[in-house]
Amino acid sequence: MRQPNGIRCLAATVLSALLFGFFGSTRLSAQDDGGLQLFGSMQTVFFHQESELRIKDPAIGAELSGTETRNSFAMQQLDLFLRKEMGSDFTAFVDLEFQLNYSSEYGWGSLSLQEAWMNYHLSDAFNVKTGLLFPAFNRLNEIKNRLALLPYLFRPLIYERLLSRKFFAEDFVPEHAFLQLHGSIPIGDFFVDYAAYTGNAESSYITRRDAEGNIDTDINPGFEFLSGVDPTEFKLKLFGGRFGLRTRDESVAFGMSFTHDYNNLRDTTRYPDYILSQSSRQLLGSDAPRIRLGADLSVRHGPLFFETEVIKVIYDYEKAERLQLEIEQSFVHGMVGYDVLPALTAYVSMQWGDYTFGIDSDYYVYSFGGAYRVNDAITAKAQLIMYEEGFKENEDAYADNYSQDVTIKFVFLGFSILL
Amino acid sequence: MKQRLRICALAAFLAFCATSGQAQTVVIVNSSIPSSTFNVKELLDLYTLNKTHWDDGSRVTVFDLKAGKAKQAFYDYIGMTEEDLQRIWLRKQFTGRARPPHAMSSEDELVAQVGKTIGGIGYASEKAVRGKKNVRIIAKLKE
Repeated sequence: MRQPNGIRCLAATVLSALLFGFFGSTRLSAQDDGGLQLFGSMQTVFFHQESELRIKDPAIGAELSGTETRNSFAMQQLDLFLRKEMGSDFTAFVDLEFQLNYSSEYGWGSLSLQEAWMNYHLSDAFNVKTGLLFPAFNRLNEIKNRLALLPYLFRPLIYERLLSRKFFAEDFVPEHAFLQLHGSIPIGDFFVDYAAYTGNAESSYITRRDAEGNIDTDINPGFEFLSGVDPTEFKLKLFGGRFGLRTRDESVAFGMSFTHDYNNLRDTTRYPDYILSQSSRQLLGSDAPRIRLGADLSVRHGPLFFETEVIKVIYDYEKAERLQLEIEQSFVHGMVGYDVLPALTAYVSMQWGDYTFGIDSDYYVYSFGGAYRVNDAITAKAQLIMYEEGFKENEDAYADNYSQDVTIKFVFLGFSILL
Repeated sequence: MKQRLRICALAAFLAFCATSGQAQTVVIVNSSIPSSTFNVKELLDLYTLNKTHWDDGSRVTVFDLKAGKAKQAFYDYIGMTEEDLQRIWLRKQFTGRARPPHAMSSEDELVAQVGKTIGGIGYASEKAVRGKKNVRIIAKLKE
């Protein structure tokens, strides 16, 4: 359906006013560098994986098990960043990401625009960022794809893009926002950080996979725009924010985050049979209001550092209440590291994830590894990971006590390179 | 004999004082920055890239040295290690928040660049700054 001319005119007027308001005040002064900064990072890995699966299904009286081993080299990720300072007040930033041996010829990996935003700096206490951006949610979300900043090769589960379709990363963290107000206010020995943002509904409202696994962007055929834009009404959009406190030397940082949006339970293609029982499939078919709550803490004292974050996802979903089914998700990540030498860092980490959605799933990840900075640009990394996953149907709700346990051991070796 | 010893001791003391004076590290800004002095917290905010603009709204351009005694003295003064700052700079750069400092090979080069760059800030030995145009000392580090 075409928009009435009046609405178009109004939209054009508002857009013009915004552009004039912003750019009309641009001050180009002598210190403007004017140059485009180009930099980047890449991470290349070799991994060895040993998986073991055990299934117990009393309904058919079967107990199954299987093992699998994989070895692979991969260009895990390459990011190219562009940054340009425009006058004293404006900065533009672009992050172009290539994943997993990207090749359009072979259909490998992916190429995506992860960030493309403009920041307007009124003062250090007040900035407006607009465009495609990683919103402030806990401390890791903003740098989740900046592999060169992380000592590990394999990120915490919900941030690891290799597993994004398995863990529905977007259930736990907001992937993108489009408008963010943010700033830092110095108070005594601390900075108070704040951010408030809004963005599109989760990606499954914009694109999904059909029964054959093909990308389907034509979710709303009546929507006249190109794919990639959000056809949902305003109430389904993302709203969120973060409030943080950090010391001026950044040795301690603490924050609390929240978001409100909707989980697209209409998109049944996201939930393969093994994830949902027939009973819990009754939950599907509508929009589930979702609140993500997060807390993060980072501490560094000399060579010792500690990072942790907690995420709790809760739903205010009438259908689930009616069916007396619990749906919620949790994630906890903790890491302790030590700079054994100025160039050598060792760490151990532990993660726990819980996915209660008719079935009760628990994930545990134990990991340890090291990162050796060969020089300012190259870091050699090694990581050993033990992944355990177990899920079973809620015994109160279901007669068949199906259960499944998966154990995977990973060894990751690789290099992180600053470009 | 005693008098000779006293003269030698005095000469050694004066030489020591002169040497100490040369080693004094100072923080300089481009003369475009409005007159002000800076305390340790403010210098820390500038070098951790938390303060990215001067009070007049112009951008801060931070200069750093690749090595040297002045660098060590400055880092000690603001209470940071090179690894701490590198980590902070990398995060700020890779999230698009700020540009990391320009690393200069020599103090003379740094002083010249601060003098040429509106909004520039850096540090060097007082000797390297002496008589240079377009730069102003905003802090002398306590030794």
